[in-house]
Amino acid sequence: MNLIREIWQSIVRRDPLSTDKGKSELVFLNVWLHIHPAKVKKENLKFKHTYYLGFITFFLFVILVTTGIALMCYYRPYPAQAYQDMKDLQFAVFLGPFLRGMHRWAAHGMVVCVFLHMCRVFYTGSYKKPRQFNWVVGVVLLLLTLGLSFTGYLLPWDQLAFWAITVGTNIGSYAPLVGGQIRELLLGGHTVGEAALLRFYVLHVAVLPSMVILFTVVHFWRIRKDGGLSRPVWKLKAKKPEGLVTIGGTPEVAQLQAVPASTDKTYGLMEVVTGKPIFETITPEEEEDVAFSYPFAFFREGVALMATVTGIMAISLFFHAPLEELANPAKTPNPAKAPWYFLGLQELVSHSALLGGVVAPAVMVLALLAIPYFDRNPSRRPKDRKLAIWLFTIFVVVNLVLIVIGTYFRGPGWALVPPWVHVVAGAE
Amino acid sequence: MGRRLPQAFFALSLLALALIVAAVWQASTPSWKTYQRQFLQLEAQGEPNAAAKAAVLATPLEIHQVLLPGLQRVDRCTTCHLGVDDPTMKNAPEPFRYHVGLGTNVPSKFGCTICHGGQGLATDQKNAHGNVDFWQTPLLAKDYIRASCGRCHKEGDIPGVPELAEGRHLFETQGCRGCHKLDGVGGSIGPDLSEEGASQRSPEWLEKHFLTPSVVSPGSAMPNFHFTREQARALTYYMLSLTNQDMGTYYSSLRTIPSSSYGRELFVEKNCIVCHAIGGVGAKVGPDLMGVTQRHSREWLDEQLVNPQLVYPGSAMPEYDLDTNSRKALVAYLATATSEDAQLILSGKKSTLTPEDAAIEAGKSNFARFGCAGCHGTELQGGVPNPNAQGGQVPSLLHLSDDYTKDEVIEVIRNGRMPPLDNASGPTPPLYMPSWKHLLSEEDIHEIVEFLWSKQQKAKDSW
Amino acid sequence: MNRRAFLSWGTAGMVSLSSAVAVSMGAVARFLMPSVFYEPPQTFKIGKPGDYAFGVPTFLVDEKIFVFHDRDRGFSVASAVCTHLGCTVAHFQSDQKFHCPCHGSVFAADGSVVHGPAPKPLNWFEVILARDGQLQVDKDKIVPATYRLMV
Repeated sequence: MNLIREIWQSIVRRDPLSTDKGKSELVFLNVWLHIHPAKVKKENLKFKHTYYLGFITFFLFVILVTTGIALMCYYRPYPAQAYQDMKDLQFAVFLGPFLRGMHRWAAHGMVVCVFLHMCRVFYTGSYKKPRQFNWVVGVVLLLLTLGLSFTGYLLPWDQLAFWAITVGTNIGSYAPLVGGQIRELLLGGHTVGEAALLRFYVLHVAVLPSMVILFTVVHFWRIRKDGGLSRPVWKLKAKKPEGLVTIGGTPEVAQLQAVPASTDKTYGLMEVVTGKPIFETITPEEEEDVAFSYPFAFFREGVALMATVTGIMAISLFFHAPLEELANPAKTPNPAKAPWYFLGLQELVSHSALLGGVVAPAVMVLALLAIPYFDRNPSRRPKDRKLAIWLFTIFVVVNLVLIVIGTYFRGPGWALVPPWVHVVAGAE
Repeated sequence: MGRRLPQAFFALSLLALALIVAAVWQASTPSWKTYQRQFLQLEAQGEPNAAAKAAVLATPLEIHQVLLPGLQRVDRCTTCHLGVDDPTMKNAPEPFRYHVGLGTNVPSKFGCTICHGGQGLATDQKNAHGNVDFWQTPLLAKDYIRASCGRCHKEGDIPGVPELAEGRHLFETQGCRGCHKLDGVGGSIGPDLSEEGASQRSPEWLEKHFLTPSVVSPGSAMPNFHFTREQARALTYYMLSLTNQDMGTYYSSLRTIPSSSYGRELFVEKNCIVCHAIGGVGAKVGPDLMGVTQRHSREWLDEQLVNPQLVYPGSAMPEYDLDTNSRKALVAYLATATSEDAQLILSGKKSTLTPEDAAIEAGKSNFARFGCAGCHGTELQGGVPNPNAQGGQVPSLLHLSDDYTKDEVIEVIRNGRMPPLDNASGPTPPLYMPSWKHLLSEEDIHEIVEFLWSKQQKAKDSW
Repeated sequence: MNRRAFLSWGTAGMVSLSSAVAVSMGAVARFLMPSVFYEPPQTFKIGKPGDYAFGVPTFLVDEKIFVFHDRDRGFSVASAVCTHLGCTVAHFQSDQKFHCPCHGSVFAADGSVVHGPAPKPLNWFEVILARDGQLQVDKDKIVPATYRLMV
């Protein structure tokens, strides 16, 4: 009995709950309650504030890692074998089509959700001080997600995969001076072949996922350190923030901060740094508005997780991931299209290689990264930032329109063909 | 706390349970299991007692597959077609029926799809039979399956499939190579045919195309050769057999079938009758071959054909570098050879040719083999339609010497040329004279011109 | 919602969730269990009885078996895999024994260990006559060394 108690003790590492120390250690020593704060603001739990998009994106990533590891057991990254393994998953492996379907649809879902999450953060102005850098981390995560999806696209080694990657990597090769070399580095050759498949596989299963995990940890940690989620826009008071003092700020600022014995929370970090914390703190009058993370936040997140998993499962049960014929470098399908999220760029490339291949992606990425530093407007309320919202909306709509045109309105020879007109390619 | 959160949680977890159970159910009930149960029932009927019946019915249900690394394929057809190698299933319903007439071509060594087409890796009927998107080679229709014999047996006569030899013969004599490449040799006016059998075109399409090209391929430059139905069928068979797939060492060794008819072909081709006699008919340099298969074992004869010096040091017999099956074919022929047949072979041999005649003969064969006949006609009559060029037809070559010297003709063959246009602003004519200098040696060209000139003589005489 | 209702809905949810997780884990285990093998099958045909000479055992390299054909007693099939650490044994015509090249195990003609580190005798496999007249070996069915198939 003693041994069992000792083992249990070693797992939970806290005193019995009957003591006050034990009760507090339940929180202090729990890793999950350190990713979350112990308490969260009630208003932040509202669905209409965040739509749980960040969580859903994260849960999709968890699904992708789980199903991805399972699929790796049946995959050899070598052209003919890779395609045969796909056929095996389709025809011979128990639950193969289902798990491959889940991986495929979760991947598309993650690209969509990470984008929607970005839109939500922009429209609520949540990238503003002190959260500027977390927006940058988020943009990096967006790019990594696209990279993961793009590298995964090649792995089935069918016609769809081969030509999407051929077209996709050629868009990148329009970059001046280094474009060709970068493509060569990525493909391990001049064309998409064995070397490219192996490299994409390494990127897809090792490099990019570990980077996503690393940046996700930073992303989550900074949410906590930036004071949890930003407050819902509708809760913002008409005027406020003043007197916020930054740890490690400039000396002048630090001097301003006469530390009063206030009712606000204060910091005593190693008895060296004193002052109020960087983030939006909870004032006593707001104390009633908070709830314990467990069970209130945990339960909601659990429901969001369940909804995500069941959604993906339901889709995978009825729609299997496509698999076309074996990749054939000698036969280009007409039209050959990049993955859907790059079709906006391909659309631009069809008009101007320089614009679509270099200028547009470079400007987009730089603009996204620069948003929190260029937007000097401190207010988060929509009516104070009409211009920013207009500009961002135009950016989103243009992107969507180009992708829709590229996906549904481009037929053989990249001619403008409405989706309801059926064109037989290669009838010549 | 949201009021309906626990209910939502419960509903979602129940849905998750339902979905995973549905997925497992979907994965556990593939159609091949139904077929296997039916087959086991069928097999159990034939068993004498209850214990044996139960033992048969207890056979685990599993995917059966034939691994064929040499053919680069894996065939799972026998997952449902369970009776292919079981003679007691001769009258069973499909998919369980016994495959009659397989001979040595057993599924465990050759699989199914190499002959029948279809998708070997698939385990449901629709996908396996290949009539789905993204699968190029669906099951071959019954009439055309025998064409697949030519995928391994690329040379010689194939017993039971005369169409293949006929098709190959037509291809080499009707001038197809003038426009089409096959295994790297031929013109480039029409498509390369090296992998025609693996293309998406259906056998029916090919057959119609040979009968009247313009019906299925409007505007095609291919002239109508007015093939008969049998010829079109033979050519279709030949096309279907062209896959250009690397067959691996074992399957490549099956290029020829060791039949006695192929052995006879070799006997004639290698001129054995020049040294050997059969039953006294023929030359006496080497031993008489009548009854040689009774005097020596097959292994001995095989060894003798590989290396005559090893068996009889100092033997005058040359080494012929024949592959295994060709040697077997020769031996098979020798077992049946008669003096009457030797007489036939002797009488078929032409008297010795003069060097001039030999050149003309060689030119004639070049003319057919490299495809000149495709446009200019086997009798040099021309007449193949070629809109907007030289009166709309490929010209006849029968009056060549009236307008050209031999050297001028050699120049045209060497470098090719575009035909003069009837109407300068009209469309480009589909056919033109390709340049042959990379394919034909100077000697080949010279022989062809000699052949052409020999025809000129006759044409003038007939005037 | 009161606490009791909350707990009962939550408990019901946990129960169905746990079953879903249990089923999923079973399903994933089944997923990882291969349905097809890219290796020589355990049950295979080795040709007609007439293909095998009397007396001298025939070694089939890919299948790693010795096929014995005795004029009087018929067919038997021995495994060529040493029971010590899985090396392939050779049959010496001179002493009628199996010798393992790795650690010197020697097996008698009936497969029993003569000396060396091998812990168990060599396996003998069931051989039957299939319906198409070929010999069929099943490596999953181990038989006593006395097993014989008369044809």
